[in-house]
Amino acid sequence: MEPLSSFFAVSVILLGIGIYGLTTKRNAIRILFSVELIYNAANLNIIAFARLRSPPLVTGQVLVLFTIALAAMEAAVGLSIIILVSRLNAEIDLSKLSKLKG
Amino acid sequence: MTDLLFLAFAAVTIGAAILAIEARDLVYGAAALGIAFLGVAGLFFLLDAAYVGWFQIAVYIGAVVVLILFTVMLVGPKMGETPLGLKRVSLLAAILVSLLLGMTGALANATAFPGPDSCGSGCSLTLLSTSLLKSYGVQLEFMSLVMAAAVIGALALSKTDRGQ
Amino acid sequence: MLGPLQPLVDMITSPLFLMIVLFPGLTSIAIIGALLGWLERKVTARVQLRIGPLYASPAGGILQMFADLIKLSFKELFVPENSDAFFFIMAPTTGLVIGAALVGLIPFAPGLQIANIEVGLPAFLAIITLSPSLVLLAGWSANSKFPFIGGLRALFQQTAYEIPLWLSALGVIMMAGSLNLAQIVAAQSAGWFIIPQALGAFIFLVTSVAEMERLPFDLPEAESEIMMGWQAEYPGVLFLAAQGPGFVKLYAFSALFTTIYLGGFLGPSFLPPLFWMLLKTLVIIVLIMLLRSTFPRVRLDQLLRAGWTTLLSLAIVNIGVTYLLVVGLPTF
Repeated sequence: MEPLSSFFAVSVILLGIGIYGLTTKRNAIRILFSVELIYNAANLNIIAFARLRSPPLVTGQVLVLFTIALAAMEAAVGLSIIILVSRLNAEIDLSKLSKLKG
Repeated sequence: MTDLLFLAFAAVTIGAAILAIEARDLVYGAAALGIAFLGVAGLFFLLDAAYVGWFQIAVYIGAVVVLILFTVMLVGPKMGETPLGLKRVSLLAAILVSLLLGMTGALANATAFPGPDSCGSGCSLTLLSTSLLKSYGVQLEFMSLVMAAAVIGALALSKTDRGQ
Repeated sequence: MLGPLQPLVDMITSPLFLMIVLFPGLTSIAIIGALLGWLERKVTARVQLRIGPLYASPAGGILQMFADLIKLSFKELFVPENSDAFFFIMAPTTGLVIGAALVGLIPFAPGLQIANIEVGLPAFLAIITLSPSLVLLAGWSANSKFPFIGGLRALFQQTAYEIPLWLSALGVIMMAGSLNLAQIVAAQSAGWFIIPQALGAFIFLVTSVAEMERLPFDLPEAESEIMMGWQAEYPGVLFLAAQGPGFVKLYAFSALFTTIYLGGFLGPSFLPPLFWMLLKTLVIIVLIMLLRSTFPRVRLDQLLRAGWTTLLSLAIVNIGVTYLLVVGLPTF
C-alpha cells in the first residue's frame, strides 16, 4: 500500500495548481475551474487523513460527501451568474468587469 | 500493483489539472477538468472510499462538468481570453506554488505517515450510511436546505434575465 | 511444460480473462449488439406489417447487420473540415467503452460477473452519467448546426432524467438493503421486486428509455427533424461507433432491469440460470422495441416537463410507499 504522504503530496500539488489558476487567470470560467480543483484537493486530503487512524474514521467520508454536494451547488450558482454577466456585459473577463467600482 | 495504480492516477490527475488551467480552448479545459476529477475518484478508490468515488464521478462529471461545458458553449469558447499583463501576480503565483511544492517535499517522508492498514470494518458501507443518516442527520437536512436555496437562486437569476 | 509461455497461457485460460473477452465481455457484446440491430428492424417491420431484413441469410436475414457492418467499414473515413478532430473521434469511441463497462457490472449467473463490487448499482448509474457530456462534445465538435442542436437536446434530456432514474432505483435498494447487484438478486429469491416496486419499475423503464435516447424519447437523434442529430456528420466506421453505444446500452439497461426488478438469473432449476437471465433480458428488449414502434415522438418541452415534475414526484411517492412496505407505519 502506498504511504499516505503520497496522497497528501498529490493533494498539495492540486491545491498549488488551483491557487496558480486563481491568481493568474482572468477568465471567470477558468477561475471556477481553479476553485473546483481546490475543492478536490481538500476532499482528497480529508479522505486520506481519515485513513490515518486505525480503525479509520468514517466521518471523513461523510464530510467529503457534503463537500461534493456543496461544490456542485456552488458550480450551479456560479455558472448561472457567469451566464447572466456574459449576457449583460458581453464579457466574462473579470478584470474588465468594473461597473461596481466607485 | 497499488503503487502502479497510484502513480497512474496521480499522474493523470495532476497532468489533467494543469491542462485544465492552461489549455487555450476552454472546451478542452473543461474536458481535462473532467479527467482530473476521474483521477481523484481513482485515488478515492485506492483509499477504500468506493462509494465516495462513485459519488464524485456522478456529481462532478455527471453534473458539474456538463454544466461547465454547457456554459462554455453558451457563452462562447473564445470569450475572455485576454492575456495577462501583470508580471507581479504571476511572480506571486510562482512563489506560492513553489512554497507548496516545498511543503510537499517535507511531507513526503514516508515514516511520518505510514501506509494505511487494511480497512476492514472501518470502511464498511453500513457504517458510512448509519453515520451519514444517524450521527449527521441534522447536517444532512441543513445541506438539503442549502441545496434548495441554491436551486431557487439559480432559477431566480435566469428568471430576471428573461424579464429584461 | 510450456516454459516461459506458461504465465501467458495461465492468463488466457483464467476465468476472468475468458469472461472479459468472451462472455459477458467484449465479443458477446459486439455480437449481441449487431443481433439487436437486426431484431429491432425485424420487430419494427412486423408491427408495421412489413417483412424487414430477409435476404442476407436463410434465417430471416439474421446476417443483415453484419453485412451492414462490412459495408460501413469499407466507406471512406474522413473528418469534416473545420471540425474538432480530437473530440470528433474521441467521443463515440469512449461511448463504446462506457457501454461495455456497463455490461461488466451485471451478474449474468452465479459467479458469471466481471466486476462484483460492493456498490454495483450506484456504479452503474454513475457510469451512465458520463454519457451526456460525451454526446454534447460529439455534437459540438462536428461544428455544424444539427449535431449541435442534437447534443444540446441530449444534454437537457439526459440530465433531466438522471434524477428520477436514481430515485426509482432507490426503492430497490431499500427493499434489498444492499447496493451490490448480486445481493439484490439474492434478496429476490422470496419474490421479484417488480410486484412491490411496480411504480418504481415503471419510472425506471421510462427514464432508462429516455437515457438511451430511443423512441419515443429520441429527440437528440430525431431523424425526421434534425437528421440523426449529433450523429449527422459521422462517416463510415465512426458512424458505427456512434450507433453502437445505443444498442450496447439497450442490452445493459435491459439486463439491469432484469437484475433489479425481475429476479435476475433466478428461475426454475430445470434450466441453467444464464438461460433465465437472457430470456428475461430479451423480453425487456422486445418490450422497449415495441415502445419504439407504437408511440410517436414527444416534444422537447413535454419531455422536460414530464421528467422534472411528473416522474420526479412519482419517484418520491414510490420512495414513501417503499418506506411503508419495508419499515411499516412510523410510530410517534
